Amino acid sequence: MAPMRTDNRKKNRLTAMVLFTVAGGMVGLAFAAVPLYKLFCQVTGFGGTPKIAAQPPAAAPSGRTITVRFDANANPALPWRFLPEKTQVTVRAGEPALAFYRATNLSDAPLTGTATFNVTPFKAGEYFSKIDCFCFTEQHLAAGEEVAMGVRFFVDPGIFTDPNTQDVTTITLSYTFFPAAGGDGKEGEKPQQAKASAPAPVPVAGRPVKG
Amino acid sequence: MADQETAAPGGHDHDHHPTGWRRWLFSTNHKDIGTMYIVLSMVGALVGGAMSFMIRLELMDPGIQFNLFGAGEEAAYFQFYNVLVTGHAFIMVFFVVMPAMMGGFGNWFVPLMIGAPDMAFPRMNNISFWLLASALVLLLVAAFTQGGPGTGWTVYPPLSSAEFHPGPAVDLGILSLHLAGASSVLGAINMITTIFNMRAPGMTIHRMPLFCWSILVTAFLLLMAMPVLAGGLTMLLTDRNFGTAFFEPSGGGDPVLWQHIFWFFGHPEVYIIILPGFGIVSQVVSTFSRKPIFGYLGMAYAMVFIGFVGFAVWAHHMYTTGLDADTRAYFVSASLVIAVPTGVKIFSWLATMWGGSISFRVPMMFACGFIFLFVMGGVTGVALANAGMDIAFHDTYFVVAHFHYVMAIAGVFAMFAGFYYWIGKMCGRQYPRVLARIHFWSFFIGVNVLFFPQHFSGMAGMPRRIPDYPDNYAGWNYVSSIGAFITTASTLLFFFIVWRTLSAGEKVPANPWGEGAKTLEWTVESPAPFHTFEELPDMTDKQAAE
Repeated sequence: MAPMRTDNRKKNRLTAMVLFTVAGGMVGLAFAAVPLYKLFCQVTGFGGTPKIAAQPPAAAPSGRTITVRFDANANPALPWRFLPEKTQVTVRAGEPALAFYRATNLSDAPLTGTATFNVTPFKAGEYFSKIDCFCFTEQHLAAGEEVAMGVRFFVDPGIFTDPNTQDVTTITLSYTFFPAAGGDGKEGEKPQQAKASAPAPVPVAGRPVKG
Repeated sequence: MADQETAAPGGHDHDHHPTGWRRWLFSTNHKDIGTMYIVLSMVGALVGGAMSFMIRLELMDPGIQFNLFGAGEEAAYFQFYNVLVTGHAFIMVFFVVMPAMMGGFGNWFVPLMIGAPDMAFPRMNNISFWLLASALVLLLVAAFTQGGPGTGWTVYPPLSSAEFHPGPAVDLGILSLHLAGASSVLGAINMITTIFNMRAPGMTIHRMPLFCWSILVTAFLLLMAMPVLAGGLTMLLTDRNFGTAFFEPSGGGDPVLWQHIFWFFGHPEVYIIILPGFGIVSQVVSTFSRKPIFGYLGMAYAMVFIGFVGFAVWAHHMYTTGLDADTRAYFVSASLVIAVPTGVKIFSWLATMWGGSISFRVPMMFACGFIFLFVMGGVTGVALANAGMDIAFHDTYFVVAHFHYVMAIAGVFAMFAGFYYWIGKMCGRQYPRVLARIHFWSFFIGVNVLFFPQHFSGMAGMPRRIPDYPDNYAGWNYVSSIGAFITTASTLLFFFIVWRTLSAGEKVPANPWGEGAKTLEWTVESPAPFHTFEELPDMTDKQAAE
């Protein structure tokens, strides 16, 4: 009996080590899911994540047009009035367009905000590209200041040939302004996020949180 | 019994073991730890069952019935209702079904069935149990802390984030799940090591009883799913307390990521609940049909296949989050594929009974009840797996009815089957037969009256997790609550039966079930001695033990 037990003991330890490694690896995978998910959203436009493009498209614009509507929200923790200048434009696919939003700081203190964004229908995210956007950086507004903020974008003509998106005639671009993490700290209403290590506005779809 | 000569010399064993509280607190004996798990599960069942009974009392009639906080305090009462829903789910999943199946029957009978003297790591076994007991205490503390966690068992942010649950209740709940998860992972490692390394000579993996197979697959699911939950919970905890933004849109996070992480754990979790039930039902059906199980290898590998596919279907819980058509098409097909191995199991149980010499003893009655309920829930599951239908049924009582049939009540029937099957082996006394039959019939009628009408309420559009509803849902909700009364009475009868069995049950021989019971636990006397198989039984020339 005794020799068999010691033999087993070694084998058992080895098995347990392997299994502990598997469990540890799964914890690691759970955390790896965070950057992988972001990457996945950016690459596939999953959840209405628009693409970021450095250049306007080289190809000639398509003859077909598509309507782009603009939606603006400000989180209640940020006392800003935030509205699109035009509620919609009709653009030719493949042609860069410029749209403006207007933000007013209603408080009597300087405030910093950062905007999350996505497009609906979600499946259009893959074909909606931003060249430049106010949402790429934090925005500082002095007390009572009003600014116009621009977004330059184009719709990839591929949207008309992809069978999944052929039915799309209207794309809604939506923004929600939040108090910038690590900003003035004046906001105070959302103490939990006041100390975050100021991530640069990450180009990932955030769902607009209303009210 | 042909296997009698392989019995361990347990009878004249020097049965010395620690006594008093030391025997339990410091226990390293798989049978004692198994017993403690079963007792914990019974305590959990009383608490979790009481919570569900309160839910049904509230839902018996339209309007608010029991506003404990007085007029004008409806919000506090609604939060309390949400805490009941949350607590019921957590307790039933983590502190009733899992401890009974894995911890209780798994600890008791896996070593006995494979002919091992104990678990591979007896002291780790002890810490697994006490971690779980601490987790239960922590969860109950959470429920009584500043309004409690009213998040549902899915703990979705933003409801679970600091903005909507500012107090420490959710943090305590998260820590409780961390402990329960650690307990499960340690238990799983112990089970896998035991089954891989400590089988008796000749007990090859393809001769192992199906209950051991079910525990083996479940242990692998635990090993791979629980750490993912732990990772997600840690992110939620730091989001709530340390300013990270994994699930906070304002910081670049995404609440839907939580749903992916949660369901990557949550879907295997429902198989963790039901797979040991498959194992128990296989043993019981084979024993009381006096036939080896039909298609042994098919049964074993069906469970392995269910385990694998269970990790690749999680987003069928998330059809309403805006997945595109292709993603939904994949998750629909992958989910429907699971109907194949489960179908293999159902038909193999029926084929085992077919032409068998069936005796409808109480464990067999519960096993048949399990098959009926599991098929009922499986049929609605096939319906719900379709994204098109699910978008209409999402978060309605139809889903509540579905998962209670397929997982919760079916799981409880498997637990009762296991209890009545093995109680003689565990305590040496047999259950009172007439009372146990009354228990079966009252429970079977009770749960069906309780859950079947919920299909109708759900199809009419009644949402989950809401304490009030319009008058047009009143009829079936009333019927459902009547079912809850019957089920509760039946549960109390079960506890009476436990007491009668322990105090006045008749003594049972080593094998009370006759020639159908071929597995090794029936070769040792009843109750099983403190130490068994110190000399390993030789199974080299034996048939597969199924």
